Amino acid sequence: MSHTPFIVGAYLISAVVLFWAAFAPVINKRSLLRQLKNRQANMDKSQ
Amino acid sequence: MNPIYLFFHKTGSPPWFYKYSGKLIPWLWAVFLILTAYGLYLGLVVAPADYQQGESVRIMYLHVPSAWMSMMIYGLMAIMGFIALVWRIRIMEVLVISSAPVGAAFTVIALITGSLWGRPTWGTYWVWDARLTSELVLLFLYFGVIALYNAFDEPRKAARAASLMSIVGAINLPIIYFSVEWWNTLHQGSSMGSSGTGIHPSMLLPLLLMATATKFFYGANLLSRARLTLLKQDHRKRWVQDLLSKESH
Repeated sequence: MSHTPFIVGAYLISAVVLFWAAFAPVINKRSLLRQLKNRQANMDKSQ
Repeated sequence: MNPIYLFFHKTGSPPWFYKYSGKLIPWLWAVFLILTAYGLYLGLVVAPADYQQGESVRIMYLHVPSAWMSMMIYGLMAIMGFIALVWRIRIMEVLVISSAPVGAAFTVIALITGSLWGRPTWGTYWVWDARLTSELVLLFLYFGVIALYNAFDEPRKAARAASLMSIVGAINLPIIYFSVEWWNTLHQGSSMGSSGTGIHPSMLLPLLLMATATKFFYGANLLSRARLTLLKQDHRKRWVQDLLSKESH
C-alpha cells in the first residue's frame, strides 16, 4: 500500500484547518471595524 | 502599589493589552513560519522513513505536536478559567474563550492525521480505543465551551460559564494522558517521558521543531482572537472609539 496519499492528505487537511484558524479572526476583525466605522459615520451625520 | 499587582493591573487593561499584543503578533507569526519551514524540511526531506511504519511516520510530525497542543491548550484554559473566576480578571476570561477555537483546531488535526496514519499502519481509520475516544471527548468539550459562551447574551456571564466548563472538563486531560497505561489500547504508549526517549535524533529534531512552532501559532492566533473579542465587547467604550477615530484619520 502506498503511503503517499495518506501523507499528502494529512498535510493538506492540516494546512486548511490552520489557515482557517489563522485567517478567521483577521477577516472577522476587518468586517467588525468596517461596521463600527460605518456606524460612527452615520452617527456623525445625524448629529 | 505592589509591582506584581501593578503588572497585572496594567496587562489586564484592555487598551494596554490591545496595543502591545498587536506589536507582538507579527513576531510570533515570523518565528512560527521559520520553525515550521525548517521542521517540515527536516521531517519531509532529511529524516529517514521508519523501519516499521515506513513513510507514514512523516504524519507524526503533524499528529504528535497537534495532540500535545490539544491537551496543553485545554490545560491552560482551565488554569486561566480558574484565575478568571477567582480574581475576576477580565482579560483571562477573554483568553479562555479565545483559546477554545485554536484548541479545537489542533484537536481536529490530531484526530484526522491520526486516522490517516492509522489506515496504513493499523489497517483501520478508527477504533473505539481509550486514547482515541478520550481525544474525541476533548473535541466535544471544546465545542461545548464555544457553544456555552455563545448561548449567553451577556459576554461576562458567558465567559464565566465557559471558564467553569473549562475547569470541569480538565478531568479529561489525565484520562487522555494515562489512557494508554490504564487500558489495553491499540494506540501505542508514550515515546517520550521523564526517562528519556528512544526516538532517533534525526526524527526527534523535526518533531521538537514542529512542537515548538505550534506554540508560536497558538500565541499569535490567541492574541489575534483576544483582540477581536475585546473589540466586540468594548465597541461602545471610549478606547475603541478613539482607536476608530485614529484609524479613520
